[in-house]
Amino acid sequence: MILSKLAARPVLLLFGLVAAFALPWLIYPPVAMDIACWALFAAALDLLLGFTGLLSFGHAAFWGGAAYAAGLIAVHWGVPFPVAVLGGALFAAVLAVPIGYLSVRLRGIYFAMVTLAFAQMVYFVVNQWRDLTGGENGLQGVPREFFGMDLSDPFFFYYAGLPFVLLGLFAVWRIVRSPFGRVLVSIRDNPARAQALGYPVERYKLLAFVLSAGLSGLAGGLYAISHGFASLHEVYWTTSGQAVMAVVLGGIGTLWGGAIGAALIVELNDYLATAGFTETGLVTGGIFVVIVLVFRRGVWGTARDLIAARAARRSPAAGTDSAAAQVEAPDRQEVTAR
Amino acid sequence: MKALGRAAAVAAVGTMLAGCGGGPGGGGGKISDGRLVLAVLNDQSAIYADLSGKNSVEAVKMAVADYKAKYGDKAVTENIDVIAADHQNKPDIANSKAQELYDRQKADTIMDVPTSSAALAVANIAKTKKKVFIDIGAATTALTGANCNKYTFHYGYNTYMLAHGTGSTVTKDGAKNWYVVYPDYAFGQDMNKSFSTAVQGAGGKIVKSDPAPFPNDNFSTFLLKAPGLSPKPQVLGTMQAGGDLVNLVKQYNEYKLRDKGIGLAVGLMFLTDIHSLGADALAGTKFTDPWYWNADQGNRAWADKFLAKTGKRPTFAHAANYSAALQYLDAVQRAGTDKSDDVVKQLEGHKFEDVFAKNATIRAQDHLLLHDVALAQVKPSSEVKEPWDYEKILKTIPADQAFQQPDPACKL
Repeated sequence: MILSKLAARPVLLLFGLVAAFALPWLIYPPVAMDIACWALFAAALDLLLGFTGLLSFGHAAFWGGAAYAAGLIAVHWGVPFPVAVLGGALFAAVLAVPIGYLSVRLRGIYFAMVTLAFAQMVYFVVNQWRDLTGGENGLQGVPREFFGMDLSDPFFFYYAGLPFVLLGLFAVWRIVRSPFGRVLVSIRDNPARAQALGYPVERYKLLAFVLSAGLSGLAGGLYAISHGFASLHEVYWTTSGQAVMAVVLGGIGTLWGGAIGAALIVELNDYLATAGFTETGLVTGGIFVVIVLVFRRGVWGTARDLIAARAARRSPAAGTDSAAAQVEAPDRQEVTAR
Repeated sequence: MKALGRAAAVAAVGTMLAGCGGGPGGGGGKISDGRLVLAVLNDQSAIYADLSGKNSVEAVKMAVADYKAKYGDKAVTENIDVIAADHQNKPDIANSKAQELYDRQKADTIMDVPTSSAALAVANIAKTKKKVFIDIGAATTALTGANCNKYTFHYGYNTYMLAHGTGSTVTKDGAKNWYVVYPDYAFGQDMNKSFSTAVQGAGGKIVKSDPAPFPNDNFSTFLLKAPGLSPKPQVLGTMQAGGDLVNLVKQYNEYKLRDKGIGLAVGLMFLTDIHSLGADALAGTKFTDPWYWNADQGNRAWADKFLAKTGKRPTFAHAANYSAALQYLDAVQRAGTDKSDDVVKQLEGHKFEDVFAKNATIRAQDHLLLHDVALAQVKPSSEVKEPWDYEKILKTIPADQAFQQPDPACKL
């Protein structure tokens, strides 16, 4: 089973990369860019939700905060867009320090509520600071400057923005596979024990929170540049909810599942805009309910379990490898057991 | 750096590939792709669905039919499509949909787009794509101010017009002292500012103006406070819209403020708002209406046609969509082509008269439509003679007084 896993991984990776590069050929490029941004956002949130066990309901603050920061940098200084995007990510990470410092002491629903409260505070600041943010008109006319290159075509901009998304996804993957990531998983599963082993649990959680926020900010900044504006919608709580939804739909603790969930949500939104239904909320809600009922561990989580089960049936000996398999994929079993 | 290099390489390859496929179509037709496409992008599923929504699409289709009937064989093209998309009031959806409508569906113009953030986002797309955009549903003056551009038109109403129409007229009619409650976001703040200027300009006084949270269900704090203010306000001016307005009016009636001598003036109200609250809940309320279906015979005749198609009477937004589509088609006819620059040239400074826009000019400096608007009052139910007959027109505010002077911040 380990052998088949080792073989499967490059294949899946290749498949993912091909999908990422082919996306704007298959669907409308601005929508493809949205999917890429949301995929990174979902993966960044999954770092916290799936691997640290913290359900943040306030990530819109970082996504949206970075969107505004990147937008403002681009509007006022006219720098190349990568600088603005990275500036946005940095802003989100810095913003996450005080918010995270105060929130990570709490657990479960209390953590979710406090992060939501902070995000709402950010929302109101953005709403009221009209001279800077444009209030509910949004921050309009964000330029897409890149050393004089014409990136106004969304098709080209997709390829200009994709490296950031891939870089961000790679960062998430690297963090999860690092010794630091292992500690996060142990904190998720048994914080008391992690503490007893001498790990400063809260500091670890805070760092995970800041990293997650920074990566969400990377996605948010790119999103603002891609759309050419930042709006209040970006910092509103429904955006936090949509990110959590993407992770849940794709599969908590699967990293790549978030990308599937994100694609699903963005495509659905896009499709419903011209489908002619009046009850858009009902349709989206219904589809989500069905997915959650049918795919208990999210689309990717369930698919992976099915593949693993089939592989186990083919080689009965694989059962003995289960302990080793668990080391390979420590992120799978415990999530639902919690 | 490596990542950026790769991006550049990919972009370069992409350029070549796209160059092969997507060259200009060529050919002699004066109408691009052989057809005119009018796209209505608005809210078809949420709070603005009733006052505009799908029925605005119907109104645009009516305009197309009337255009064809008017020009017959002489029409510049036979093929006119009306398409629609739902932006769900989300600016990011409006933004991507607008690009898609212009690029993929070959829309020659996008119309309606309520919600100011969405409207401004679409205006930016129109600017970069150099395609005509006629906004009807949004109220912000930024569309013809700091965010104006050569391809964007604002048609029907805006915050200045609403506030000035009601504020100055009601004050001149004797209500000197005002208490203003406004929702605490850009629309409300704009309205409050314009309203105060209008009231003071007409010799009135703002006793107090209070921001209310948005959205809000409970307005009792403000309503209970109103009679105790000194000097006692004669009018409560509310800038709330939609669901908030419904709540405020219901509570205003529960506290019987009208009996205590405090009248009600509303910043923005649609026919559908009165319909859902009932005439009695709002009886006596004054507000500015850009157009009312039963104001004269011409309006009524058009409203009858609209009723036959949709089963409802039109709001001013429906009529404005009809009129905007008609004027756009007329401009294409005059220009003989759908090339944006030529159509814009035809629209700029155009003076005309139609069922919606009376005494109308499209101002060349900022692309704002100037037209006569009305100060209206809601009738008590005893005077309502037929369904949807809710308004009494008190006076007409002439086009040159109804709207603001061009904003120097606007550079087309």
